[in-house]
Amino acid sequence: MASVAARTRRVQKKGTRSHGPINVYVIVSVVLSVVFLLPLVWAVLRSFQPPSQITAAPSLKDFTHLTLANYSGLINGNIQILRYVENSLLVATGTALLTAVLATLAGYGFGRTRFRFRGANVVFALILVTLMVPFQAILTPLFLELSVLHLLDSRIGLVLFYSTFNLPFGVFVMRNNFLAIPNELDEAAYCDGATVLTTLRSVLLPLVTPGVATTMLYAFLFAWTEFLGALPFITNIKLLTLPVALLNVETGTFGQVNFGYLVAGAVIAMVPCAVLYVTLQRFYVTGITVGGVKG
Amino acid sequence: MAQPTVAKQRAASLGPVGAARSKRRKAGVVLQPKVGMLLVAPAFLFVAVFVLFPLAFAIYISLTNWPLIGPYHFAGLHNYAALGKDPGFLHSVLFTLLYTGIVTIPILAVGYGLAVLVRSNRRGAVFLRTAFFLPYVVGLSTLSYIVLLELQPNSGAVNFVLAKLHLTNGGTTWLVNTNLALAATCVLVIWFASGLTMVLLIGGMQSISGDLYESADVEGASWLDKERYITLPLLRPTIALSLIISIIGSFLAFNQFFILTQGGPGTSTFTVVMWIYQTAFVQLHVGAATAMSLVLVAVVGLISAVQFLLLRENT
Repeated sequence: MASVAARTRRVQKKGTRSHGPINVYVIVSVVLSVVFLLPLVWAVLRSFQPPSQITAAPSLKDFTHLTLANYSGLINGNIQILRYVENSLLVATGTALLTAVLATLAGYGFGRTRFRFRGANVVFALILVTLMVPFQAILTPLFLELSVLHLLDSRIGLVLFYSTFNLPFGVFVMRNNFLAIPNELDEAAYCDGATVLTTLRSVLLPLVTPGVATTMLYAFLFAWTEFLGALPFITNIKLLTLPVALLNVETGTFGQVNFGYLVAGAVIAMVPCAVLYVTLQRFYVTGITVGGVKG
Repeated sequence: MAQPTVAKQRAASLGPVGAARSKRRKAGVVLQPKVGMLLVAPAFLFVAVFVLFPLAFAIYISLTNWPLIGPYHFAGLHNYAALGKDPGFLHSVLFTLLYTGIVTIPILAVGYGLAVLVRSNRRGAVFLRTAFFLPYVVGLSTLSYIVLLELQPNSGAVNFVLAKLHLTNGGTTWLVNTNLALAATCVLVIWFASGLTMVLLIGGMQSISGDLYESADVEGASWLDKERYITLPLLRPTIALSLIISIIGSFLAFNQFFILTQGGPGTSTFTVVMWIYQTAFVQLHVGAATAMSLVLVAVVGLISAVQFLLLRENT
């Protein structure tokens, strides 16, 4: 009887879905997407305004003279923004690669029955506990440690620091990915004489690619947008990452404060995030539901 | 896709011993615990060197008068005792709590509303999810720079729009007034963070069985009834989780205030992390700053522990 009720329900539901609140849905959707996206689109438009217009009283005629002046000024002037784009790219790519390698190896170690060792759960828990330690709260000891290791003012130092704080999430994701693969698969390969790493590379890696993509995407975006750590750890102006370099544009370290440069710089910082996220979002969303934590 | 893997992972973590023993009985399978250790070692080494060691080191530093440069001596619990007498620190704690109190509920409410809007597979839902989550992906520092430009009194879009709507005279100086600066930053953060809450809640909503809604429909329940008596109660763990994530994020606030107000006017918009940064890297009182940090670690750790328990119940 219940199933009959459910079946009639299903039929009814199909009927009501196509009409009714659809108009409210459309209106609310349009309004909300404007609210959420317009400021970003607006910033892109603003970045093409001549500097004089950006600091003048706004008027509706403002978008008649679009120009690349802010971008060319950022690139060719004394700011030389490309240097910071390069720093950010190197640091973010390095972080993504290092995190992926470390997390994949650890996920392999944690995720296969034949690699089980005494204390594996304790080690896994210790890595996960890092999720509870906000890097914001251990900046001072990290600063002193990096200083002793000669890793202050170093892009490599940033890569090591960023990778570490992406590891708990990455190891968690990779372990789940490996656990989802039946043990028999690689045990067969192993019995055929393949080494531990060959088995990983040729049998398992193709199966955990989604996990690797999720881990790399998170690590890259984390490193690309990170601000607070890069601020004290890098003081050599040539080695700044983009978000901190923009702070210097804001405060006028490079000379006169130029809001045109600031908004164009913000757009340069924004575009890679938006492109990566929009193209790879299925990996991103999987990450959120698995990892839960990313503040 | 996420749910089954989490479930599997839990199953495995519940019975590692049993699983290993049953494997050992199978012929031909070689157990390689040492290889396992080697594979895990690099990741663990990084965590030990850059998290666990600094954490232990922090406890030591906090018991000294450590200046950034020069000799230091042991100071016992002096730094902790002094925290209670540091008006700047106390003010930053109150300010951070106030800020957290203001943004937490709106982020949840907006995030919930967005999740309700886009949880179905209606046309455009995927686009909307992307749109609502994009500010979070772009990151708070970039958003802050954009907002900084538009909050300028004479040239920013915010005053221009408010004046056109006849809400203000268009001359509001947002960032030199504590309350206005806080208000503007809160709006910025709600824009930034409600997408994350939305994604978390959608995950929770999609795991609620459709049968419940179908039988509610049979009973003639209204949309509001279903939301109130089915979705909300079953979503409680997910809501708690997203609240905790959002509260931790607010406790750690730095970028938005550092970029928009630099803590000003005066020191009125200093958050806790900003005060720690200031004490450590501007005033060079590393010992005192580290004591503050450890208090923060304890508070955040406590909240995270609650979150961890919730996560376990949740999966």
